[in-house]
Amino acid sequence: MFVRRYLIPRFIQYILVIFVGITAVFFIPRLLPNDPVLRTISELRARGATLEPGAMDKIIADLTQMYGLEGSMLDQYGAFWARLLRGDLGVSFFQFPTPVSALIGTALPWTAGLLLTTTILAWVIGNVLGAFAGYYSASRWSQGIDAVAMVIRPMPYYIFAFALLLLFAYAIRWFPVSGGAKLGMQPSYSWPFIQSVLWHSFLPALSIVILGMAVWFQTMKLVVQSVVGESYVQYARLGGVTERKIVTRYVFRNALLPQITGLALSLGLIFSGALITEIVFSYPGLGTLLYRAIINGDYNLIMGITVFSIFAITTIVLIVDLLYPLFDPRIRYS
Amino acid sequence: MKVFRDLLRDYRFFFGFWILVLMLVFASLSLFSPYDPGLWGEVPRDMRPSAEYWLGTDSNGQDIFWIATFAVRNSLTIALIAGLVSRLIAVTVGMVAGYLGGKSDRALMFVSDSLLVIPLFLMIVMLAMLIRDSMGVVSLGLLLAIFGWAWDARLIRSQILSLREREFTKTAVLSGTGTMRLVLNEYMPYSTPLIFSTLINNMAWAIGLEITLAILGLLDTSVPTLGTMLYWAISYQAVLLGRWWWVLTPIVLSILLFVALYWLSVSISEYLDPRRRIQRVGVG
Amino acid sequence: MKRRLMVLLGLLVVASLVLSACAPAPGGGAPAAEEPAAEAPAAAEQPSSGLGDLPRNETLIADILTGRVGSPDDFNNWVGWKWRDRGMQNLANEPLWSVDFATGEIINGLASGDPVYNDDFTQVTIPLREGVTWSDGEPFTSADVVFTVETLMAHEGFGDNTFFVENVKSVSAPDEYTVAFELNQPNSRFHTKFLDRWGCTWIMPKHIWESVEDPVTFKFNPFVGTGPYKLHSFDPSGFWTIWEKRADWDKSPTGMMFGEPKPTYIVFQNFADEGAKILAQLTHQADVLGVSSDGLQAVLQQCDTCRAYRRDWPYVVNNDPAQTGITFNTAKAPYDSKDVRWALLLAIDIADYMGIAVDGTGALSPVHIPSLSNYPDDFIKPMIPWLEEFTLDIGNGETFQPFDVNASQRIVEYAKGRGHEVSDDPAELGNLFGYGWYKYAPDVAEKLLVKNGFSKNADGKWLLPDGTPWQIACLSGTQAVNHDFRNCAAAVQAWKRFGIDASQYPSEANSSLNATGDFDVSGNWPAQEPWGAGPDLYRVLDWWNSGYIKPLGETTSGHPSRWSSPEMDAVIEKLRNTDPTDYQAVVDVGIEGLKIAIEEMPGIPTYGYVGFVTWDEQYWTNWPGAENPYTQPYTHWGPFKYMTPFLEPTGAE
Repeated sequence: MFVRRYLIPRFIQYILVIFVGITAVFFIPRLLPNDPVLRTISELRARGATLEPGAMDKIIADLTQMYGLEGSMLDQYGAFWARLLRGDLGVSFFQFPTPVSALIGTALPWTAGLLLTTTILAWVIGNVLGAFAGYYSASRWSQGIDAVAMVIRPMPYYIFAFALLLLFAYAIRWFPVSGGAKLGMQPSYSWPFIQSVLWHSFLPALSIVILGMAVWFQTMKLVVQSVVGESYVQYARLGGVTERKIVTRYVFRNALLPQITGLALSLGLIFSGALITEIVFSYPGLGTLLYRAIINGDYNLIMGITVFSIFAITTIVLIVDLLYPLFDPRIRYS
Repeated sequence: MKVFRDLLRDYRFFFGFWILVLMLVFASLSLFSPYDPGLWGEVPRDMRPSAEYWLGTDSNGQDIFWIATFAVRNSLTIALIAGLVSRLIAVTVGMVAGYLGGKSDRALMFVSDSLLVIPLFLMIVMLAMLIRDSMGVVSLGLLLAIFGWAWDARLIRSQILSLREREFTKTAVLSGTGTMRLVLNEYMPYSTPLIFSTLINNMAWAIGLEITLAILGLLDTSVPTLGTMLYWAISYQAVLLGRWWWVLTPIVLSILLFVALYWLSVSISEYLDPRRRIQRVGVG
Repeated sequence: MKRRLMVLLGLLVVASLVLSACAPAPGGGAPAAEEPAAEAPAAAEQPSSGLGDLPRNETLIADILTGRVGSPDDFNNWVGWKWRDRGMQNLANEPLWSVDFATGEIINGLASGDPVYNDDFTQVTIPLREGVTWSDGEPFTSADVVFTVETLMAHEGFGDNTFFVENVKSVSAPDEYTVAFELNQPNSRFHTKFLDRWGCTWIMPKHIWESVEDPVTFKFNPFVGTGPYKLHSFDPSGFWTIWEKRADWDKSPTGMMFGEPKPTYIVFQNFADEGAKILAQLTHQADVLGVSSDGLQAVLQQCDTCRAYRRDWPYVVNNDPAQTGITFNTAKAPYDSKDVRWALLLAIDIADYMGIAVDGTGALSPVHIPSLSNYPDDFIKPMIPWLEEFTLDIGNGETFQPFDVNASQRIVEYAKGRGHEVSDDPAELGNLFGYGWYKYAPDVAEKLLVKNGFSKNADGKWLLPDGTPWQIACLSGTQAVNHDFRNCAAAVQAWKRFGIDASQYPSEANSSLNATGDFDVSGNWPAQEPWGAGPDLYRVLDWWNSGYIKPLGETTSGHPSRWSSPEMDAVIEKLRNTDPTDYQAVVDVGIEGLKIAIEEMPGIPTYGYVGFVTWDEQYWTNWPGAENPYTQPYTHWGPFKYMTPFLEPTGAE
């Protein structure tokens, strides 16, 4: 019953969303004025190569062929799916002939490591603080934190991150100015390397956690405040249910629902990287990779990163949808 | 008027309201600016705040006070368009999907999920590049609105889902209440706090994303907004050169804007929340 | 209970599906997975030392001009763009010849002297330096050069394939240290393909490449060159590359000519943001940086051991061989009219313009080559009498002489007004600010426009001849500190004040839009960059060759202005048939070409490229500053390797 009436349609939807998302990202870059072949030629020319008129046509033809951009857009689209289903993401145009999977493979651990940690940390701390602040919304400390969050939240991230850098890498020299690990160090699973990575990612992580926390805190606080006013909470209280039980069973549990969707989406968004963080702290990751791919019209690289991202978000949303009944017994799939 | 007087008794509404009024007055001062915001070199460069230049001048030779009036006007317009238009879509989609369920739910969630899964930043950067020629304040606001509703539609839908299962829905349906009336009279009050908080989140997000896009140089940097003011300040290393008046102006303005919006929304949604109102009346 | 069980079951199904779908994806599937796997052992073999192991006072740290390296394990510079300024062209590779724009010299690298052409330029022989070895110890000989050219001709994937196939009939090695080329058609500038001016054709080590199956996809890791440094290690994320002095540095042309390079290690590091870059220098974690104008000010304000190219104002490097300015798209109306182009020039008040663009720190040039190196003495100063006589027909029988020999003096006054101390020495002033430009004459500009059917509406705004408002969008890149953006910004301000609805149009697609002609006016350099040394302007003039122009929408092979004229074609032809070593003859033809360009004004030349270099003297001194310009000052140009023997370590801890 459940499988036929809910799971199967939901799963079809899951596949369809992935399909539509990937299709959209396939076509939109190809409508932009950024032509990868022209981009490559301009780059070479800007670097001092003179190209004869006859040579130009030939180079354009060669590059078009090398990049697999021959034929109509539909032909390319078909070829793209044929390749993708074989698990081949193709080669990057701008970093020719580096395979897209190699580029993503280098950047992904940095992004995943930094953003998974910070997203979850910000979510947990922000929600715990927000929940208490919402429950005890009249107290002084609750309003104090709210005031701090209110000022931090609208801070432009770039400025906030740079201020941290200025403070902790220049004024007090506790943390490094830039990079993902010490200069000259090769990635490995050795302790000195991990230590170096932790030390280098502290400021980037701090900047993301603080700003993220402020957002989760304020949202959670408002939701809890509204749940506390719900009739069932009032009834529970009148019915003599212990305070502890009210808080955990009735208030937090209900308030958490929208926050879980939020967390799921933030986790999914990890795969497009944290561009400004990577810029301010010269941190390796997917954000810069994607941004540069967009600017250079590097279709295969755009597609490679996006396929990951789309897959991650859809899957997480699907899981959350299926988990919902476990959190909220009132929702039934019928 | 009584509503307004009631609301003003809340300090948050009081301050939020007056800060917003102040910001609106500030923004409308741009109509009386003695300088064309598109022209550089109208005043001496890099002057500290003084009686003549209240907030100092920047390295392009523009008066920061007057540029800021344009910036607040434009940023507020972007945020309002993005916030209101996306609320309209999010509330409609969320409520219809949540209440009707079934096929319409699936169809609507399919659309919003498809929007959600495409990396937002990628889309906005690409579209910003695509429509760069015609990228103005209004078109940016609409662009952000198109991509800003999907998440909140989901939030609203899940709230409606849970409201639908409640006793009063059944009672109302059994007693023959129409769908429209049910949604508007019974669900709206419950959803209002959520809608308001998502509106504020969304406006803050729009202001923030505008700043990010501007810092990356993707917007028309000759149109003053809070983002493009920061873009120029960062490009000219205002922080390291100690030109604090130039960096702090857009930051303080965006904090003030946010605080005003936040307090207003919190205060209004508490006021609208039926249960809270009882408490308030009881106390007051 | 039953319901929950079902939910869990469903979840399990989905999870396993997801996992099975996910598992092959990160590896990238079968064909793609092979590549990284094959490279992994090579990366693991590299010594994994941190800078903690590199002694700071024997290490020099510079930034990478072109940014983070996208393909860090790929050193095959013969295919595509490989971030060669991360130490490849500037430390590890020696070209046949290099241009040093600061001294105006051509430096012999692997070649031991000038090329020798036959009378009709169909044969050329190149003498090579003896005793050079590759960084792996193998000797360098003419066989390497022959192999390189033949390999490039054999594979279409190489960028230079077409050039060599079109030009070279045969290449041979008469002896170990001589290479001889037979050309398909006369080409008096064939050898410049090997002349390094921020890039040229490099020589491959035959003993490595001859066993490579597919040279187009070969990664050439580790890089083997004839320069004084060899690859030490690199960051797989592309943020840094470390180079180590060769033990046999005396077997490299650099060592033979200039002695032992001083830094043991040289690090090329990327900073994604200028803020962090400056903080790195303030904390002595970077020795040489390229920064923005304001970044330079910040460094000088806060770092006691740092200096700029000049010890005093204007601090900047103004001998970079690029002339910046404005380019008109002459394939589009109304920019196809030379009167309109001249009117837009005369609407510019150059003192204001320079203030907005670079705070008055650049050297003006009234012609399409920059005012540096030998160019003022060979070209600009000799042209001044002609420039002063040069006359425009502005309609109604009136004429106007636009040249203003005192324009540079107006920049000096601007600088003094900004509170800077400026020397009174005329030679120094000419060096800093150039030798004149054009008058600010909006009234003349107005007459020129009216003559061409333009009119002004009631608000004083200009209308096109068809009565519609005149709008100009000036195309540039998106970086506000780059000179294409600066030129557009300044021009837009000037034209706005003149009554044109002008605006800035920054775009990420800047270079493509320039190439396809999808713009009206752009901040692209108004002419191709010259060599930066010697009398030959072939590189500048040939880009205006009518044969290179493509219809709008297609990529042009010539200059983005798409301007040409039969007169210029004749000059180019004449230059082709002039012996490049006949100094005065080459100069005379060059001046002829420049005069045509001034009359037609396909783009407005404004100021010479202004560079901002900061040097920290904490660990290294004797930088090639303006007081002692023994070589060009940048770390990203090829001749940086020739700077390394002259740097002095301070030994500071």
